[in-house]
Amino acid sequence: MSRLQSSINTASADFRRNEAHNRRLVAEFRAKQEAARHSRPQRDLDRLARQQKMPQRKRIEMLLDPGTPFLELSSLAANMAYGGESPSASSIVGIGMVSGREVMIRADDPTVKGGAWYPLTVKKIVRALDIAMENRLPVVHLCDSAGGFLQLQSELFPDRYMGGRIFRNQSLLSKMGVKQLALVFGHCTAGGAYIPGLSDYSVIVRGTGAVFLGGPPLVKAATGEDVTVEELGGAEMHTSVSGTCDYPADSEEHAIEIGRDIVSQWDRLPRWEAQRETPEEPFYDPAEIYGIVPDDIKKAFDMREIIARIVDGSRFHEYKPNYGTTLVCGFANIWGFKVGILANNGVLFNDSSIKGAHFIELCNQNNTPLVFLQNITGYMVGREYERRGITKDGAKMIMAQSCSRVPKFTVMCNGSFGAGNYGMCGRAFDGRFLFSWPNHQIGVMGGDQAANTLAEVKANQMKRNGGAVDQSEIDRLWEETRKAYQEQLSAYHSTSELWDDGIIDPLDTRNALGVAISASLNAPLGPPGYGVFRF
Amino acid sequence: MMTGQDDNPPFRKVLIANRGEIACRVIRTLREMGIASVAIHHPVEARARHVREADEAVEISGETPVSAHLDIGQIVGAARAVGADAIHPGYGFLSENARFARAVDEAGLTFIGPDAETIALMGDKISARQFAADYGVPVAPSVMPTEDLAEFTRQATAIGFPLLIKAAAGGGGKGMSIVRSAEELEGAARHAASEAQRYFGDGRVYAELFVERPRHIEVQVFGDGKGGAIHLFERECSVQRRFQKIIEEAPAANLPAALRDEICASAVRLAAAANYRNAGTVEYILGADGRFFFLEMNTRLQVEHPVTEMITGLDLVRLQIEIAAGRDLPFAQDDVTANGHAIECRICAEDPERDFLPETGTILHLDAPQAAYLRFENALDRGQRVTADFDPMLAKLVAHGPDRAGATRRAIAALHDLALLGVKTNIDYLARVLGHPAFAAGDLHTGFVVQHKAALAAAEPDEATRDKVLIAAALGLRDFRDLILGVPEPHASIGLWRN
Amino acid sequence: MVLKLDLDGTVHHLTILARRPHLVVSVDGRRHVVQGLDEAGDGSRQLTVDGEPLAFARAGSADGVIVRLDGRSFALRRLDAAAEASAAGGGANVVRAPMPGTVIVVHKRVGDSVQRGETIVTIESMKLQMKLDAPRDGEIAEIAAREGEGFDKDAVLARLAAPAEG
Repeated sequence: MSRLQSSINTASADFRRNEAHNRRLVAEFRAKQEAARHSRPQRDLDRLARQQKMPQRKRIEMLLDPGTPFLELSSLAANMAYGGESPSASSIVGIGMVSGREVMIRADDPTVKGGAWYPLTVKKIVRALDIAMENRLPVVHLCDSAGGFLQLQSELFPDRYMGGRIFRNQSLLSKMGVKQLALVFGHCTAGGAYIPGLSDYSVIVRGTGAVFLGGPPLVKAATGEDVTVEELGGAEMHTSVSGTCDYPADSEEHAIEIGRDIVSQWDRLPRWEAQRETPEEPFYDPAEIYGIVPDDIKKAFDMREIIARIVDGSRFHEYKPNYGTTLVCGFANIWGFKVGILANNGVLFNDSSIKGAHFIELCNQNNTPLVFLQNITGYMVGREYERRGITKDGAKMIMAQSCSRVPKFTVMCNGSFGAGNYGMCGRAFDGRFLFSWPNHQIGVMGGDQAANTLAEVKANQMKRNGGAVDQSEIDRLWEETRKAYQEQLSAYHSTSELWDDGIIDPLDTRNALGVAISASLNAPLGPPGYGVFRF
Repeated sequence: MMTGQDDNPPFRKVLIANRGEIACRVIRTLREMGIASVAIHHPVEARARHVREADEAVEISGETPVSAHLDIGQIVGAARAVGADAIHPGYGFLSENARFARAVDEAGLTFIGPDAETIALMGDKISARQFAADYGVPVAPSVMPTEDLAEFTRQATAIGFPLLIKAAAGGGGKGMSIVRSAEELEGAARHAASEAQRYFGDGRVYAELFVERPRHIEVQVFGDGKGGAIHLFERECSVQRRFQKIIEEAPAANLPAALRDEICASAVRLAAAANYRNAGTVEYILGADGRFFFLEMNTRLQVEHPVTEMITGLDLVRLQIEIAAGRDLPFAQDDVTANGHAIECRICAEDPERDFLPETGTILHLDAPQAAYLRFENALDRGQRVTADFDPMLAKLVAHGPDRAGATRRAIAALHDLALLGVKTNIDYLARVLGHPAFAAGDLHTGFVVQHKAALAAAEPDEATRDKVLIAAALGLRDFRDLILGVPEPHASIGLWRN
Repeated sequence: MVLKLDLDGTVHHLTILARRPHLVVSVDGRRHVVQGLDEAGDGSRQLTVDGEPLAFARAGSADGVIVRLDGRSFALRRLDAAAEASAAGGGANVVRAPMPGTVIVVHKRVGDSVQRGETIVTIESMKLQMKLDAPRDGEIAEIAAREGEGFDKDAVLARLAAPAEG
């Protein structure tokens, strides 16, 4: 595999301008992330200290094998919801190494409304368990939750992918033989109680940990019974009387030690052996990505320059380099793992769509995971392309991609508009993981295009109604539409709604993909085969 | 050292009435001589090294392991039962017990040591001292016990100062004092007398010349039991803790040749006078002024005999056996020559930081350095429990060198490399003693350990050493090692990363 | 995960910072590069720390490790969370009967201070004698067991003073 030749001039004005722009975006992202992780009202932090409870992140650090990565998912979930009062959607989710085993770690956040679950918390937990199921990742729950946030119950309780889904997923995980361990650090009330209840193993901390369907106030209200937390659902009771929990722990640290010991007993299920080489750092400095991605979403750039800064040794075996050139396809290694990369270098034409579909088939044939690097404005429109069957060719790519048996990973590098999102494995296509860069925008179309389209429709409507075209009304509509779109298009909105698995610093792309690909190998490949391709 | 099968072994089978390193030591020589060995053991030591190394083993019972090893009837019975024709007592236990020697004799077996009468004579401090004095061996001048304080004062003044005054009847330091001038004498004597009366109901007081900074010098002798005796030079055993030797060497440091000859000659004189048979050791205290006084005679093989073996090239156990069999001394005094210097370190299960109190534990790891100039006398096994049942001495490390400095260097290096883990020992402490400038200068006396206490204390390890120790320890913990090696790729390569 | 080792009364924290290309270990925050760790065994003889050879002898003891390095022996005690929590009064407060039976011996009295693992009562049940130990370090607040008396399963036989009172 030969090394890509970069043609970036790091001394150019463009490069410097881009770099300044992207560094500012990343700094903004880091600031939001930092706030979501650590900024809490003092009284909540004081209460935690008073209860002698460690912050969840400290517990996670203690749980993890030292000197190993932790890929946090959706750190900015709910960042644009609930007036910002549910940072990270009140939960921490990520993949890391515990006692030499890759596990999904999921932790409640007791510093926000007693760890209550907001609707997006539920969505985040369900997604975490979906990931665990798709990748057969054991789960360690760090439980400290009061259960559903009652004020918003209609948004988190009744529907298919709401609260009940958590427990359905827990049950199915267990059926699949994917282990779950619950470490109970705080009160797990109502729905929160079922997490340890449905885990294969559970540890509960004496004094602070408790599990009950209804806490003492609810019991008092319902039956008039006076009962203490300890009697109702404390460690002593659950480990010696009810059997709801398995191991009592004498401290949080002790619980973590027991938990690590439990995980170390778990069998290591065979991983699917992907083709693998010795990892090699990229030849080109990944930090140059900042100077490559333009400061304006409308400016084009060569995705090969990005590939060169993500893959091992900057080596890339490009497939069909002279055909369908708006879709760059080829083989490379990421942290040693062989992958097939599809990256957009412009709008998708008939040839690039067919090339993409073909390349996906090759990767499925070769058991090579797929990595999609999205920067797509859509499939080409116009009479000429419709006559050539652009819809039909785009459908081939969607069919091949949807039916892939190899794991798929998507990185939203810049823009994702229209049906191109589908062909390039958008969220709906069950890629194992989907990450976004902070500059990323997503929508059916761009803000300008939407505003133009709606203004055009409005003008026609005015004309049809016989009136004159009120240009100021049109301008107002245009500006309003553009503004609303702009907000919805932003990566922060996407990630707030859990349309991705988190925003990442572009420089973290390689590591994030490394951990994600590694996780995906725990699940066997799906059955081969596709539906009917329209030729 | 004399080695090889004896063409005509003096005995067929010898029972060793001992255990541990000395039993193994005796077995080694017996094997070289073509003599079968028999070990004895209490049930708790059924799998001990001396039992495994002996050709035969007999179990003896006792409420405690030590009491079994002191049971004369059982041991002599065992020797007869297995058809042994001699018993080697080693050191300690019954080695200086006249009744045992007599019982062995009466059972028709040979006791490898002096006869019972000699043991009894030398075993009694008063009679031994008197015997030594009678034959011109210097004894520390003393005032015999008396209640007559005037007479006491007169005699004491005649001896000179300093004097050690104590109650004649007892010990424990009651009424004991050191008097350095005539003015102090009367008061001290009166005080001692009243204390003696008060504590022991016996007002007699006793005084002897107090030797300042005394050195412990001893002479290895062999007698043929017929008035013939030779010496195998002296040993110095001045480095002691809790009145017990921890480092012994041969020859003594900085001892003028004339004084050495004088000391050795007096020891031979004593042995000859006693018609001494077999190996014995005459112990002296030597003052800074060059005066030396008889202390006692040990009628057995000493713990520290290897230093003598290393400088003379002789096998003392072999000599003991040959003499016990009635053979003559195989060489004359002039044939015995000394070569170089040897130092023995007693490795004990004890805590030098806590007043040398005995320690217990389990031998978890044992790795001793090996060299032609080293002897590591031990009967240790990995997994062996070190209990309070027996003496805390675990082993002896003996190093020989061309001179004292060379032997010291080798001993320090060997202690450095000696890994005996699982019970706290004095190994590191011994190395510090050997490395002390006063030891190098040969500035020794029995108060050495107390005098240099501060300098001999373990220093805090520096940070770099401590970190290395911690790393070595961590890497020894299985789960920490698993933590290092058990992390799969790519996580191991990605390392500590947070997004 | 942090390893805690007690050396001469001081607790030291060790953790792993990196495994590739070399093992990097943190000791109380100081970084040390360790090379030569043989994958097959501990390879103790070829190890280097910060480029310097690390020669040592080592043995695992009941509660830790003994290391001999540079002519000195060091006994290190490993601290585990359970023991730490117990020492801080974090364990259970009660000693319960695991099965019905009779009290044979009461070893402790109210007010006695006990260490984790010390026997408080000996009971007999189904011809089997059993020792019931202190679940943590602490002070005996109550002894409900009377020698010769019977009790039911789950009966509280002894209670430790709560940490706040103790």
